Amino acid sequence: MSALPVLNGGSKAAGGARSSRSRGRKTKEPSMIGRRERLEIAVLSGPAILMFLAFVIFPVIMAAYYGFFKWKGYGVPTDFVGLKNYVTILTDPEFHAVLGHNAIILVASLLLQGPIALLLALLLNKKMRGQSVIRVLIFIPYVISEVIAGTAWSLLLQTQGGVNRLLQDIGLGNLANDWISNPKIAMWTLMGILTWKYVGFAVIIFLAGMQGIPTELMEAARVDGASYWQIQRRITIPLLGPTIRMWAFLSIIGSLQLFDLVYIIWGQYVASTAGTSTMATYMVVNGRLAGNFGYGNAVAVVVFIISLIIALLYQRFVLRRDTEGALTGGTR
Amino acid sequence: MKQRSRILGATATLMVAALALGACAGGGDSANKADADGNVTMTLWHNSTTGDGKAFWEGAAAAYHEQNPKVTIKIQAIQNEEMDGKLQNAFNADDAPDIFFARGGAKLKDVVDAGQAMDLTDLITDETKKAINEGAFDALSVDGKVYGMPMSVLPGGIFYSADLFQQAGITEAPKTMEDLNAAIDKLKAAGIQPIALGAKDAWPAAHWYYFFALRECSEDVLAKSALEGDFTNECWLKAGKDLEEFAAAEPFNDGFLTTSAQQGAGSSAGLVANHKAAMELMGGWNVGVIGDLTPDKQPLADLRWFPFPAVDGGKGDPTAMMGGVDGFGCSKNAPKECADFLNFVVNADNQRKYADAFETIPANKDAQDVITSDALKDILPAYEAASSVSTWLDTLLGQNVGNALNVAVVDMLAGKSDAEGILKAVQSAADKG
Repeated sequence: MSALPVLNGGSKAAGGARSSRSRGRKTKEPSMIGRRERLEIAVLSGPAILMFLAFVIFPVIMAAYYGFFKWKGYGVPTDFVGLKNYVTILTDPEFHAVLGHNAIILVASLLLQGPIALLLALLLNKKMRGQSVIRVLIFIPYVISEVIAGTAWSLLLQTQGGVNRLLQDIGLGNLANDWISNPKIAMWTLMGILTWKYVGFAVIIFLAGMQGIPTELMEAARVDGASYWQIQRRITIPLLGPTIRMWAFLSIIGSLQLFDLVYIIWGQYVASTAGTSTMATYMVVNGRLAGNFGYGNAVAVVVFIISLIIALLYQRFVLRRDTEGALTGGTR
Repeated sequence: MKQRSRILGATATLMVAALALGACAGGGDSANKADADGNVTMTLWHNSTTGDGKAFWEGAAAAYHEQNPKVTIKIQAIQNEEMDGKLQNAFNADDAPDIFFARGGAKLKDVVDAGQAMDLTDLITDETKKAINEGAFDALSVDGKVYGMPMSVLPGGIFYSADLFQQAGITEAPKTMEDLNAAIDKLKAAGIQPIALGAKDAWPAAHWYYFFALRECSEDVLAKSALEGDFTNECWLKAGKDLEEFAAAEPFNDGFLTTSAQQGAGSSAGLVANHKAAMELMGGWNVGVIGDLTPDKQPLADLRWFPFPAVDGGKGDPTAMMGGVDGFGCSKNAPKECADFLNFVVNADNQRKYADAFETIPANKDAQDVITSDALKDILPAYEAASSVSTWLDTLLGQNVGNALNVAVVDMLAGKSDAEGILKAVQSAADKG
């Protein structure tokens, strides 16, 4: 795999520039470099590291601490219960259910959004009339805030809402359904909304990746008599690999963390009834809304660990070949 | 040189950031304390985001400021479904409003146990004590001490549209479950959705369960179960089965699972307000809520009320009621003017205005003469004659078990669980709390 398209190619280029600059200076004033550059690094990255410690690492540690207590959220926790909260979480059928929902969302997001976005990106990568208008239209749902999108869809999808009305008006009245509260289809309603909302993001990333593929390759293939589909299948898609793998990573993380759309459309309580609750809504309902702050923190820790394991496994087995050069080729 | 100035710049940025962070952490509740001239500012959170109710609080604050020019009350209206969570966050952060909205039960008890509420027992004037029923104070008391000033009493029951009943040929308000089921059949035959239900908010659905429990369980069992979280008495299972059977006839509006209770024309109150559904089981505040959601924002003229019907073979007294008391408490850091203000807002004059604005039954008996709504006039005699008035079960049980119970009832109505499932959910929630 020689050509690395935009995402990783970009970071590699940046890394390369940095290393060549420092190497250049090293030859001129070798004794000054160590301390000065270290100070510069410390000062420039200090604020970011402080922020990261204060708003990411510290809360994680505190959550782990609170998770060992039965705590109503008032004052300092005193009622130490050890691992009881974790035992309750891992044996709670409701938590098993949300794990299943998250798994469905994760897999279905990849299987639905990936192919659709790839087809759209291939289409939009060709020169054609109204290209930029279509690009904007596809990207708009991603720009709209989750609250607005969620509210709009929940109004449209009500039994008396616009979608059912439309179906009736075009003679498909028997397809009308209780899209949101019917537990048999609520999950697919959610997947439809998620696809609508996030497919634009995938399309833009894929398009950007395609811009990074050297046109010479395609021209050469065309000269050799390859058809359009052969070129896409043998050249574009393989060379888009790193971009697709990076998008899949972002999609997986997003699926694991999904909260806002579910919470807005299904409200505080009925997501579990409709079968669309996620780990995040479970945490809020059983933690904050129930006033069980110790338990909620324990759930947060479990969600954190699950996400971390999946992210690390993905990095280790899927992303490694893409990031190898980019992450290790910097200053040394 | 260039490098040094860059480092200096970065250091300066870092310090500014650190200062800004420090400032965030520092600015706490200094606003509550009186300044050098003795001026006091108090904050008040209430749950009336629209119309006359909102105007009432602004008016009351202004009137109090006129009498006590040194006291200013800052008001924040918070959407009802957000109120509990926001209040809890504020108490957790030790940044609570001076005057906070309270419904009693375990929710208030949690606040009191955390030492966040002010004991008002000796701060309530004799005049106030005389005008308000003791039962209303009881609902806002913890361990015999009063922590809230009752504003209104809100007994629950079934609100209905007299016009739609007439349209369906129902001549008399249902007294028993058979009557109610017959009325539902007639409404359905007339093409009218019988009962509006805002199950998206869970508690309105759970009210049906609570009322069946009120009819199935004796008063003692009800009180004991709520206090100890013990639901082993078979009347709880029976109540769940009653509701399961009742719901099997599909009396609720289409899509009730995603219908909210009070927000907009599509909510359950909105359906009643717009004559899209005939009945709703709700608390006494519903007259005002429905009035806000009618097309012309006027009270619904044909709105009437009847008590929850008697259940055959139930051990509960058929006149027993379940309801709530809306009140206000003072948080622990509130200035002494807080209690004075609460005594002020429950005087007969202000309570008349309150009853008018909220279309509800005022806690002050002297002010009950202003009630004009037919529905509230239906409630008053039933309230007077009630053998007991119990607080809403979810309020009594507190957020943890209460919410779990509410969601479990929704699960059952959606066909995902059954009467036993409700009781299992209570146990599972108790493990988490």
